[in-house]
Amino acid sequence: MNQFDITDKIATAFGAGLVLLGIVGLGLVELLAGKPYSPVPLTNEAGEVIATPAIDPTLRTGLVLLGLVVLFVWGLYRAATPDAGADRTPTEVTAD
Amino acid sequence: MAYSETNPLAEDFGFEVGGPLAAYWIALLRVITGWWFFHAGVTKLIENGLNFTYGTAYMQGMTGTALGPIPVWMGNNLAWLIEPGVPLFETLIGLALMAGAFVRLAAFGGVVFMTLFWVGNAGFGNGLVNGDLMGLLLFATMMVFAAGRYYGLDALIERLDVVNRYPKLRYLLG
Repeated sequence: MNQFDITDKIATAFGAGLVLLGIVGLGLVELLAGKPYSPVPLTNEAGEVIATPAIDPTLRTGLVLLGLVVLFVWGLYRAATPDAGADRTPTEVTAD
Repeated sequence: MAYSETNPLAEDFGFEVGGPLAAYWIALLRVITGWWFFHAGVTKLIENGLNFTYGTAYMQGMTGTALGPIPVWMGNNLAWLIEPGVPLFETLIGLALMAGAFVRLAAFGGVVFMTLFWVGNAGFGNGLVNGDLMGLLLFATMMVFAAGRYYGLDALIERLDVVNRYPKLRYLLG
């Protein structure tokens, strides 16, 4: 795999984009939205929920998993696809 | 074997990640690792400002660990550094890793933090290899692979004249 073609670039960018959106992007939204700053509800001493996360952790974890699935499927595609774009011309390397 | 007069570190500290996939993955890992520490630091800043007193209490409690009396001494005597330093450095380490700037320096800071967490938390119920050690190894990996060079600002910073004049700066960059 010497070069990424357009399909590879789209797949890797999309996969990473989903992962980073779930972790960093929505994490920033959660931070800016105020307490709680982590995806767990805040409770008082009686155990009552007094604040819930701005972003549902199910959505965030789902986006991360979806991104990883995209990358995994792309990996399968790469494994099944001959690397036509790669330059397979042998190059001479001087031993030193 | 290549030899570079201008960069004496080119061989030992010039590991080149081969291929686009390796560079891509290292960069992705770097940003996520950075977010991890940024979130830990910035939430402390929001909650406690530069007065993170739990940091000193945590280190004072590290008696009988592999680090000996060092963290306890630090907890007792370096509160002026630890209380503002923990939230501040965690935040800065996170920002540096996400931006890919001064990654080796920042990742070294992360290694120091994770060493204290790994040894101090001592959550070894499932063995010595736990999440804290994995975090420590992630930071070390960022240093080994000079992760800031891949989709990061270090790729640009390392082209500056000052870095060419003082190639040992690459110990901190990359």
